[in-house]
Amino acid sequence: MAGGGKSRHARLRVRSVGPEPSASVGHAGHNAGPTETVTVLVRRSATSNEDRFVIRRQPRMKVLDLLVAIQRDHDPSLAFRYSCRVAMCGTCALRMDGTAGLACQTAVPDHLREVHLAPLAGLPVLRDLVVDVAPFFARWAAVTPYLVPHPGATAPARVRPDSPERQVIDPALDCITCGICYSACSVSEDGRDFLGPAALNRAMVLIADSRDASRSERLARIGNLDGVDRCHYIGGCTSCCPKDLDPFGAIRQLRRWRLTGIQGIPTP
Amino acid sequence: MSDLPDPELIETDVAIIGTGGAGLMCALHIAEHSPACDVTLVSKGIVGKSGCTRMVQGGFNAVLNPRDSIEDHFADTLAGGYWLNDQELAWTLVNDAPKVVNELETRVGCFFDRAPDGAIHQKAFAGQTFDRTVHRGDLTGLEIMGRLRDQMFRIGVRELEDVRALDLVIDDNGVAGLSALDIRSGQPILIAARVVVMATGGAATMYRLATPAREKTGDGIAMCYRAGLELRDMEMLQFHPTGLLVGESRLTGALLEEGLRGSGALLLNALGERFMTRYDPERMERSTRDVVSRGSYLEIVEGRGTPDGGVFIDISSVLSADEIRRRFPGMVDRTRRLGQDLSLGPVEVSPVAHFQMGGVVIDVDCHTSLPGLLVAGEDSGGVHGANRLGGNGVAESTVFGARAGDTAARLVTERARGRPSPGAAQQSFARAFRPLGTDAGEHPMALTRELKDLMWQQAGVVRNRANLSAALDALDDLSARTARTRAPGPPEMNPTWQEALDLENQVVAARCLVASALVREESRGAHFRADFPDRDDRRWLRSIRIKADADGRPEIHTVPVDLSRLAPTGIEDHPANAVDTRMPDQTESPGHSGRADEGGSTT
Ligand SMILES: Cc1cc2nc3c(=O)[nH]c(=O)nc-3n(C[C@H](O)[C@H](O)[C@H](O)COP(=O)(O)OP(=O)(O)OC[C@H]3O[C@@H](n4cnc5c(N)ncnc54)[C@H](O)[C@@H]3O)c2cc1C
Ligand code: SF4
Ligand code: SF4
Ligand code: FES
Repeated sequence: MAGGGKSRHARLRVRSVGPEPSASVGHAGHNAGPTETVTVLVRRSATSNEDRFVIRRQPRMKVLDLLVAIQRDHDPSLAFRYSCRVAMCGTCALRMDGTAGLACQTAVPDHLREVHLAPLAGLPVLRDLVVDVAPFFARWAAVTPYLVPHPGATAPARVRPDSPERQVIDPALDCITCGICYSACSVSEDGRDFLGPAALNRAMVLIADSRDASRSERLARIGNLDGVDRCHYIGGCTSCCPKDLDPFGAIRQLRRWRLTGIQGIPTP
Repeated sequence: MSDLPDPELIETDVAIIGTGGAGLMCALHIAEHSPACDVTLVSKGIVGKSGCTRMVQGGFNAVLNPRDSIEDHFADTLAGGYWLNDQELAWTLVNDAPKVVNELETRVGCFFDRAPDGAIHQKAFAGQTFDRTVHRGDLTGLEIMGRLRDQMFRIGVRELEDVRALDLVIDDNGVAGLSALDIRSGQPILIAARVVVMATGGAATMYRLATPAREKTGDGIAMCYRAGLELRDMEMLQFHPTGLLVGESRLTGALLEEGLRGSGALLLNALGERFMTRYDPERMERSTRDVVSRGSYLEIVEGRGTPDGGVFIDISSVLSADEIRRRFPGMVDRTRRLGQDLSLGPVEVSPVAHFQMGGVVIDVDCHTSLPGLLVAGEDSGGVHGANRLGGNGVAESTVFGARAGDTAARLVTERARGRPSPGAAQQSFARAFRPLGTDAGEHPMALTRELKDLMWQQAGVVRNRANLSAALDALDDLSARTARTRAPGPPEMNPTWQEALDLENQVVAARCLVASALVREESRGAHFRADFPDRDDRRWLRSIRIKADADGRPEIHTVPVDLSRLAPTGIEDHPANAVDTRMPDQTESPGHSGRADEGGSTT
């Protein structure tokens, strides 16, 4: 796949050893052109086992295409979610060989023979690859995710694009609430009381926003027991965000603000 | 259907079907007016994360600059719509758009891109005489839907997620509620309501190549058609000229944004010719969506396309790679991930089905002919006429969603809650549950493919009578077969079953489209007839209306467009006032449709 895109979309690693899919005839090894088929092992909720499907490769295939092919040609009962297929809805998230990512954006590399697909971690499975995102959004809701406007605000605020607040907010804004960071975060996954990376990233954005009238309440909120101090500081969230956000950086930012106060950003 | 489970009963004041821009703005406005009102969101996908509003890249048209004017936005919208628009609806759109942008910024919490001086930045979009498109990078819809979704946590509405509406339930008093299906459990639900708002976002997915989100299978159109409502302009289906071709991949149809053509990108056929010289030598690639789509389509069918059935867009020979990366990072990224690179060479594209201009007939307050039923967003018809301007779509869904909310808040105080008897929804549930019990019949996924191929080949970018007639016959056949599909497996989260239900609705919408397209014997906007290639204002400044007769067969008539706000030059003898196009309760004179006249003062 042509690399070089700036986003950190999950990359499936090609293993050079491993069982040869039975239907892949005459295409062994790395230099022999793409494999003709890909073996997909999908975790199923009915049995808790993996089902094995051998899928004919199409050019420029995504993991989402593997799922569509399974459903269309092999097992119409396979349940998975997607909506936009352009990295905007965040509903196609799952784990591929253990790494969480977006099915619609993850390429099936030319020499991939086998891939394991499983639902996101840390969220209840509704069926097969479909999870209930309610626990993720419960934490999101817990940080008061909406703007609390100043009572007098009747016109769009004048905010220069090069202002300090926008320098902090803009790179953190385009969260698609896919839950991938949540799934990758061992603290969230444990089911422990932790707001988690996406919700904290949202809190950081609102605290920096001079249009918000609730800054001090927010700073107090993320300092609670389930807040920033729960984070283990390993950064698993940031390394898998499909939108290149840095929730780990947001958490560090929040801790700094709590210790030293907010500098350089106008108070509301 | 004796073994049909008893439906769960939910009582509410307002049931909103769909959680895109129209649905969530509606909920928000109801909460502003009457916080005590009980609102239920019915969402086929995840709330706020399904539908196309979320996918809006380009932006939102609104008059904010004192040098711009409401009148100009209005004139652009009508010219862009080839004068088929309902002028009251278009006038309402352009008047409310600045207020809604203001509301999104100051109350909802959206933040749109700023100009260096700190004011909201507005960019140029095709077909407009002023740079009036508000945006957040090239992810505008994400910002709008993300923040609207956040507002739902504030106002606290009942969210029925993964629940699909099946049918409207009607009693003597108008709409009484709806039948629905919990996709997760497979259980039927009966919702009793005072007011129902339809906002399911249209039917533009019925083509092989299409941009919209997967949930949008014409459910709202089909529900309204089955309930006897009148649809208008269903032949007007917009094709976007630059959808990516990615072979068999589901990513085929992902858009390359219009700004590329605006910045000088070339369109080339497989022979390397700049083919737009044949179709619009003056504006070339910068011509409107309909003209460019048609040009590309004709190149492809006449054998000058790529082996995969596409043409090339090339910006790399016009701008430097660095410049392209700087100005179109999202688009470069998108092509790279598909194994190509916009900044380095030509990329294969094709026209793709994009947006449904037609829909349910509404008035400026989203009323329909069925008391208690409101329709907003892409499910409604008339705002855009024969062709939608880029940037007017999300404006429509938020403006009319907000108005539907205002109207609903008023109506709940006037209307009793419907008491749908289980019997009233019996037919709807029986139809919905039919595929589940059977082992015989065709697989719906194969039929969906047949439908999409059929529509693409016979009712697509270029149409003619023979093809449309053949398509109508084929749709009759498909319609009969969709009534005999099978969905093996359990009721819980059964994708085949859901596909069967999607398909039935898509076929209903497709038949309305083809039947209307057959009647319009001229070419206008998105509708191009090879056998009637010219626009004919003398005969066809008329809107085509279709509704089901008592036996469910389509009944068609036409209504002249009311041109009283603005008329195109050169058609003074148009029979403008022969028949009224608007709703019975506001027919007296144009221009007194309530708040639309307040003007467009902005900040
Ligand atoms: C790729 C793309 C890019 C676009 N870019 C722009 C742009 O730059 N500018 C612009 O102005 N417009 C743009 N548009 C058009 C714009 O997205 C639409 O005009 C508008 O967002 C439609 O909003 P809506 O609320 O009517 O429907 P949607 O936002 O599509 O929402 C539909 C909702 O209905 C739900 N639903 C469907 N069926 C059922 C059912 N049976 N039961 C319950 N719920 C159901 C869905 O789950 C979804 O929540 C774009 C469209 C696409 C596809
Ligand atoms: S850095 Fe913190 S929030 Fe991120 S994954 Fe690790 S523990 Fe979770
Ligand atoms: S921060 Fe990134 S990974 Fe986490 S939910 Fe948002 S987009 Fe997904
Ligand atoms: S399908 Fe929407 S992000 Fe993948």
